[in-house]
Amino acid sequence: MDKLIYCLLLAKSNHTKPETILNSLKGVMEASLLAVEYHNISAIISDVTEKQFVANKQHAVEFALVIDKLAQKYTLLPMRFGSMMDSTGSVMDMLERNEVEIEAGLKKVKNKWEYGLKVLCDREKLKEELIAKQDNDSLNLVKPEIDPNKSVYKTYVLKKLSEHRAEEQILSFVDSILVEIKTYLRKLKAVDKCKKMTNETTIIDAVFLLDKKKKKEVINLVKDLQQKYPQLNFLLTGPWPPYNFVEINIK
Amino acid sequence: MSNNKILCNTGTVDLSIQDISKEVDKLINDEETKLKLTPENADSGLAKLVLTLVELIRKLIEKQAMRRVDGGSLSEDEIERLGETLMKLEMKMEELKKYFNLTDRDLNINLGPLGDLM
Repeated sequence: MDKLIYCLLLAKSNHTKPETILNSLKGVMEASLLAVEYHNISAIISDVTEKQFVANKQHAVEFALVIDKLAQKYTLLPMRFGSMMDSTGSVMDMLERNEVEIEAGLKKVKNKWEYGLKVLCDREKLKEELIAKQDNDSLNLVKPEIDPNKSVYKTYVLKKLSEHRAEEQILSFVDSILVEIKTYLRKLKAVDKCKKMTNETTIIDAVFLLDKKKKKEVINLVKDLQQKYPQLNFLLTGPWPPYNFVEINIK
Repeated sequence: MSNNKILCNTGTVDLSIQDISKEVDKLINDEETKLKLTPENADSGLAKLVLTLVELIRKLIEKQAMRRVDGGSLSEDEIERLGETLMKLEMKMEELKKYFNLTDRDLNINLGPLGDLM
């Protein structure tokens, strides 16, 4: 029977032994959960056969629920959905081989939650607004050396140039918001990872690791940003286990 | 993991947990962005892949060209030829998309956590 690994946790980060909590939880496909302990760290596992295990939404939710519940009580590192080993012995060997890295990883996320912040907008509408905001000089897209009446090709270039400038405007607008967010997060001593323009509606997709006590501060930040930029939609989610801050290559 | 994970969503864009769930479903079952290669549709499946790459390169060229036009380093004659080239490239792409029955949305790939290709 294979072992599905949910997370690696610091057993001593709570007075209650993991087994006590595990008894009240069920894993993927209603499987019982078990803690494999090695010194201070434990791997939370359940039995599963590779044939039974299907990577679908239901199983992903069941997997994440276990991690979410345990994260309320312990410092932990979530494992990638579908991480499996062939036996408890192999899991124990893995813990032994990676003990130093796992402990270092756990130390980094201790007493911290992950939050997600998405900034969404109607990009086409934003583009129109930004162009409208520009002053007359920068709105004058016709360069002196390009006479749009001369040919259809030059008119085409002008149209493309206008679109290009609007895109650049959006990028610099997004950059300015990103700087604002990062500056504030730095004040809160948060570790962040940000991506911009991930799809048509998301202009910023950020995740950050923040001290558990600073939840209110981050909510206030988002409320302030919302007031400042009413045309944007700020979506703050969390607290999450540190899904995006596990940086261990299991040996 | 329910609505209580949304700490703040006070914008003009209406977004509920159902919308997020729909987005997740879309990511999991997004047939449009999947490359469907079977013996029956090998031509169009391959065309989609090739045209996606061509479109990516075309857009990169266009972007670089616009940077040069914006920088003012091109002569009038060069701009004229550039316009002709870019216009013909775009028209050719439209022709190919029509031929293989593809839309702009088809010529994009969702790169998961990295977002969309274009």
